[in-house]
Amino acid sequence: MSTPTTFWRIAGMSYTQYVTRAATAVRNGLKEPAKTKALQHETFSYNAASWEAGKIGPKKQVNKLTNAGISV
Amino acid sequence: MMQRALLRRFTPSLRRTFSTVEESAAAGMTLNFNLPHESIYVGAKVDQVIVPGVAGEYGVTADHVPLVAQLKPGVLQILHQGTAEAEKYFVAGGFSITHPNSTTDISCPEAVKIDDIDSASVTAAFEAAKSAFSSAEAGSQAAAEAQIDMEVNKAMAFAVGVSLA
Repeated sequence: MSTPTTFWRIAGMSYTQYVTRAATAVRNGLKEPAKTKALQHETFSYNAASWEAGKIGPKKQVNKLTNAGISV
Repeated sequence: MMQRALLRRFTPSLRRTFSTVEESAAAGMTLNFNLPHESIYVGAKVDQVIVPGVAGEYGVTADHVPLVAQLKPGVLQILHQGTAEAEKYFVAGGFSITHPNSTTDISCPEAVKIDDIDSASVTAAFEAAKSAFSSAEAGSQAAAEAQIDMEVNKAMAFAVGVSLA
């Protein structure tokens, strides 16, 4: 890309990172019960499983990729 | 002589293909307003949408020039057909694309009702972000995140009538 002009680009963030951070800020500024409902929109988790001899092992739910042993 | 006669026969039909201003205004514009988790409006016929673009707020009616705009954290106003009072949403960002056929697509990561904004929590978050920004290293990720929080909370406070600096 050419010379970054926005403060978030200069700091090394992508547009997606910038806008999801802004969305989080909006959700945190709400009254209950709208706040709890909105915060559910941003929660996510992964299922991690190991493969051995062509067979999938048991699935484990992890909320961060680093907890599954995957380096990000 | 022959050519002039042909022209006279064809120009009336050309004149008839232009629609009048009243016709297109009455037809209204179509709005598609989508969030990742919810479709708020799909194919809705509205009178006007006031969009908070980063370069400024602008209004879109039927036959607006095609436009792609990045949205800033701010208030999106939808004027439904036959109403004087706009329906307002606070949007976190996103994009608004107006097509040549009077359809506008607005996509935002989050949009909330103004009534759901808690002015006390927004003021507190703004003050916290302000101190985080002043203590963070200039140009770092932490400084950028604090700046985003400041910008968004300031806009949310403004939407509920509180002016922060």
